[in-house]
Amino acid sequence: MKSPKLLFIPLLSLCMSGCDMIDYHPYDSRISGPTDINNHNIEKIEANCKDKTVIRFVTMGDSQRWYDETVDFVNHLNQRDDIDFVIHGGDFSDFGVTNEFLWQRDIMNKLNVPYVGLIGNHDCIGTGEDTFRAVFGEPNFSFIAGRIKFVCLNTNAIEYDYSRPIPDFDFLASQLEERRDEYDRTVVSMHIRPFCFEFNNNVAQVFQYTIRQFPNLMFCTAAHEHHVFEANLFEDGVMYYMSDCMKNRCYYIFTITPDGYEREIAYY
Amino acid sequence: MNAKLPITRTWICLLLACPLMGRAQETMETPIAPQQVAKDTVIIIKHDTVWLEKEKVEMKEEVKVKIDSADVDQRFSRYDRRVHRYRKHWEALIPTHTKLQFAGNMGLISLGTGWDYGKRNQWETDLFFGFLPKYQSERSKITMTLKQNYMPWSVTLGKGISVEPLACGMYLNTVFGNEFWTHEPDRYPKGYYGFSSKVRIHIFLGQRITYDIPPRWRLGARAVTFFYEISTCDLYVVSAFLNKYLKPKDYLSLSFGLKTQLF
Repeated sequence: MKSPKLLFIPLLSLCMSGCDMIDYHPYDSRISGPTDINNHNIEKIEANCKDKTVIRFVTMGDSQRWYDETVDFVNHLNQRDDIDFVIHGGDFSDFGVTNEFLWQRDIMNKLNVPYVGLIGNHDCIGTGEDTFRAVFGEPNFSFIAGRIKFVCLNTNAIEYDYSRPIPDFDFLASQLEERRDEYDRTVVSMHIRPFCFEFNNNVAQVFQYTIRQFPNLMFCTAAHEHHVFEANLFEDGVMYYMSDCMKNRCYYIFTITPDGYEREIAYY
Repeated sequence: MNAKLPITRTWICLLLACPLMGRAQETMETPIAPQQVAKDTVIIIKHDTVWLEKEKVEMKEEVKVKIDSADVDQRFSRYDRRVHRYRKHWEALIPTHTKLQFAGNMGLISLGTGWDYGKRNQWETDLFFGFLPKYQSERSKITMTLKQNYMPWSVTLGKGISVEPLACGMYLNTVFGNEFWTHEPDRYPKGYYGFSSKVRIHIFLGQRITYDIPPRWRLGARAVTFFYEISTCDLYVVSAFLNKYLKPKDYLSLSFGLKTQLF
């Protein structure tokens, strides 16, 4: 009668250790752990940068399925102490699977500095957008760091079949006036830049016109294309800086001073 | 005892009395001599088909047996054999068990039915429908799963308990809803994402323990089985591939279930 007892040993140990191994569905949107990351981190960013005249931040993105590389990025950045915050340019997930967001969140939460996450086109697959909203927050958001307004946009028009306004001009219009006395300059961040075919290029010019209404638009940041490059897309002097994917172990560092800004491409 | 109807007539009688079958079977249980009744069965099988005693059938008012010209001949006609085959084939489609499974990336809870086959019933095929609550998404979802099981061994431990030390197999799961696609919608260029968000392929390993219910305690089932499984699906395998960060507990899922063997 030993054998049945022996059989229950692996079974019992499984029951005890297996609580976090219970998965209902890849797209179940069942979130465990911290949620509403962006709003919590924006509070920290705004508090930390309140009276700063020099802001130094990092843009990176496209960390989907490159977990080890993202861990390395976090460890690498944690060795520096001159960064104020990080903007993740989107594509936390590759398939929109709920666990992908949680794994990425847990890696990024190890950063010593606060970060915000934009929504990427891969993050919209299946229930991905719902999961993104729960874990990170609204896809369109903004924050102010040291009198600079950062407007972060969902530009993944391809995912919505024109059934929803992407980019959302109502949001942009409301952001112009919101907290107008608290900022003097503006940076616009997005996942997909204008003139990528996934952008709603029918409104590319309107988009550019609209964001130029913001006071002292300095530059735009984007991700998505998995290679680092910069372009004066509309030939109007507004630079777009496209960050690399985590696979290529590369990110941008921007330093905004009262006179202007500097950029640096860092490899790790 | 030799007053049994020919099989043909029994067939007709059964076909006529389809809605009454349940009652007809009930009446059979009690009056028939015990040696005629196999211990484990309610329906008496002879020549691999179903027969009813003449008297018992005619006792029932509702069942009026009309003697067909085809019935006069006592030999099995081609028609008899044909109907016999026809029924035999359709009977193979009666599910042999039902299953209830918790978790396993196929829904919070899935209810299914299926068939076992093979020399030692070592193969099983199940069809599940699962329920997935909405959690943080916009609506709850229904899933459907087609599952193939293989149990190479069964070890009898006595007292009606047996153990299947290994159960393995794979299942295909699909989730209903417009937000999931099998083929990428037209808005994407061909092969843009290169995967289907609707259909998942899973593989699993598990173990089972079965209790054969003694005949006098049987209500709806002959045996009950508890099983657990460790599974993973294509997207998790792809994610874990080349990543040290993801540990087995991240990409493996644990699920439990109960199987009731109907016959």
